[in-house]
Amino acid sequence: MSMARPILAVLQREVLKLGRQRTRLLASMVRPLIWLLVIGSGFGAVLGSAGGLSYQQFLAPGVLGMTMLFGAMLSALTMVYDKESGVMRMLVIAPFAHYWIVIVKTLSAVVAALLQALLLMVLLALLGYLRFTAIDVPVLLLGLLLVPFACAGIGMLAAAFTKTLDNFAALMNFVIFPVFFLSGSLYPITQLPPWLRVVAMANPYTYGVDLLKHALLTGVEGRFAPDFSVALDAAVLAGFTIVAVTIACVRFSGETAFDSVIRVLTGKKTG
Amino acid sequence: MTSCAIQAQGLARRYGEVVAVDGLDLEIGEGEFFGLLGPNGSGKTTTIHMLATLVRPTAGSARVAGFDVGTDPVKARGQIGLVFQESALDRTLSVAENLRFAGMLYGLPKAEIERRAKALLDLFGIADKFHAPTAALSGGQRRALDIIRGVIHEPRVLFLDEPTIGLDIPVRRRIWRFIEGLRQRNRMTVLLTTHYLEEADACERVAFIRKGRLVTQGAPRSLVENLGRHTVEFESRDIDALLERARPTLGKGLKEGNTALFLHGHEDTAPLARLQDELGDLVTAMRVRRPNLNDVFLWVHAGADLPGGRP
Ligand SMILES: Nc1ncnc2c1ncn2[C@@H]1O[C@H](COP(=O)(O)OP(=O)(O)O)[C@@H](O)[C@H]1O
Ligand SMILES: [Mg+2]
Repeated sequence: MSMARPILAVLQREVLKLGRQRTRLLASMVRPLIWLLVIGSGFGAVLGSAGGLSYQQFLAPGVLGMTMLFGAMLSALTMVYDKESGVMRMLVIAPFAHYWIVIVKTLSAVVAALLQALLLMVLLALLGYLRFTAIDVPVLLLGLLLVPFACAGIGMLAAAFTKTLDNFAALMNFVIFPVFFLSGSLYPITQLPPWLRVVAMANPYTYGVDLLKHALLTGVEGRFAPDFSVALDAAVLAGFTIVAVTIACVRFSGETAFDSVIRVLTGKKTG
Repeated sequence: MTSCAIQAQGLARRYGEVVAVDGLDLEIGEGEFFGLLGPNGSGKTTTIHMLATLVRPTAGSARVAGFDVGTDPVKARGQIGLVFQESALDRTLSVAENLRFAGMLYGLPKAEIERRAKALLDLFGIADKFHAPTAALSGGQRRALDIIRGVIHEPRVLFLDEPTIGLDIPVRRRIWRFIEGLRQRNRMTVLLTTHYLEEADACERVAFIRKGRLVTQGAPRSLVENLGRHTVEFESRDIDALLERARPTLGKGLKEGNTALFLHGHEDTAPLARLQDELGDLVTAMRVRRPNLNDVFLWVHAGADLPGGRP
């Protein structure tokens, strides 16, 4: 059987649900705008401008990345929601190998992130935070592809190791926020103390933000400039995505073999 | 049997110390309507999940619709429909959206899904609910939708895990008629589990399992006949004393609440009247009736050796 229809089924459900969850969509637009407007003006006053770039303009790639990070993560975590609500039953009994569930869910997280990113870019353009002359279109397209995948990868990895939605708040605190804050989204990582810089460089999302800086801030010199090359960013993002999704696939298939999925499905909390 | 839809040999599953299923042998023919019966925790769900390739057996093997569930799970799943004990529906979607999602997972085109969905909803008498939100359906309608979800791809083998659990009697009857209608439409093999034994009378064959082991199987009629001619129920102030005193005449009895149950193999009920006289006021009431599947279940549940043995 071709996987085209099953993939389409999961993507359609994702988009349908996204369209119905207005607050989720609204939050995904408001959150970055708050950072841009509130935090941006606050930090901007302290950090000033560099290389002809205001702090708020420096922040644009960071908030675009943020939308994709949150969008992809929240979508990937519907894996956990689906396990709890029972919809996962439809997926595990369907006639394809169980690792496809992880792949298909990764793709739908990518689509969700991409839709939200495009919407935000329209808003940013309307508000004047996108400098069209500084956009490198091919690199931007690359970023809009690789960043959602890497973010979905982080999300799938987190979902693969999360049994119940009760752990959701913990996940937000211990995964999403650290990934965001330790990434160079808010400040150039060259400004960080050495040990934090090491942490940031170990964070795959850092390379996503860096790629978006290449895409949106061409020609910027000085401390607001990107830290790595486009090639390194792309390689890290692609490599991380493959590794993360593979681990999630193995973990999920193994999980099925060891029945903890079934345990969730049958409502048996013990054992 | 030449064509087996479901075939299990020594199927077993342990969870740590717990042996959920303990060496089950099953042979279910193409098109058969088979009931797997047993008390709570006897391993019915685990058996279904192993046959449906979702739980890996710790021993033994099984073939479903010609495919080995261990080595060919994906192909087996293509021929299987499974209605889980608990709902698999997305309550935030409409009826049509749920069925479209389910059907597309089997690679069906949208138009075909819609055609089948409408026909199946019509079979249950809720064709008007096609666009309704799933959350707005009644319990019975939701159960029917779950079943429709499980057969939208027209599986050759359908597993129904407690399809009528938690529903009231009229709705249970409707679900049951619906399953019968589906069987006639699609000619599929159906394996179901249920607690409601009066329903299992409709199965062509039933198997009773207890602690993961097959205790007895056969046509409901012949199982009941094997039990004996009569079931004798005594009510008494002192059940234990009564069980003891009646034993020489009727054999080992069962304690069920404040009644004692015995099986009486002969058509002749004269010994029963004599026994009642003998027991005097130890007996407050006595009833003699034909056995039914419930009695088979009770004797299986009690772990007693089944008397009889007449084919
Ligand atoms: N995932 C699991 N982990 C641990 N024990 C389990 C699991 N699934 C079932 N069991 C145990 O296996 C036995 C059989 O369970 P089950 O197949 O659900 O029975 P039934 O469906 O007949 O009620 C029970 O003792 C149950 O607690
Ligand atoms: Mg069960």
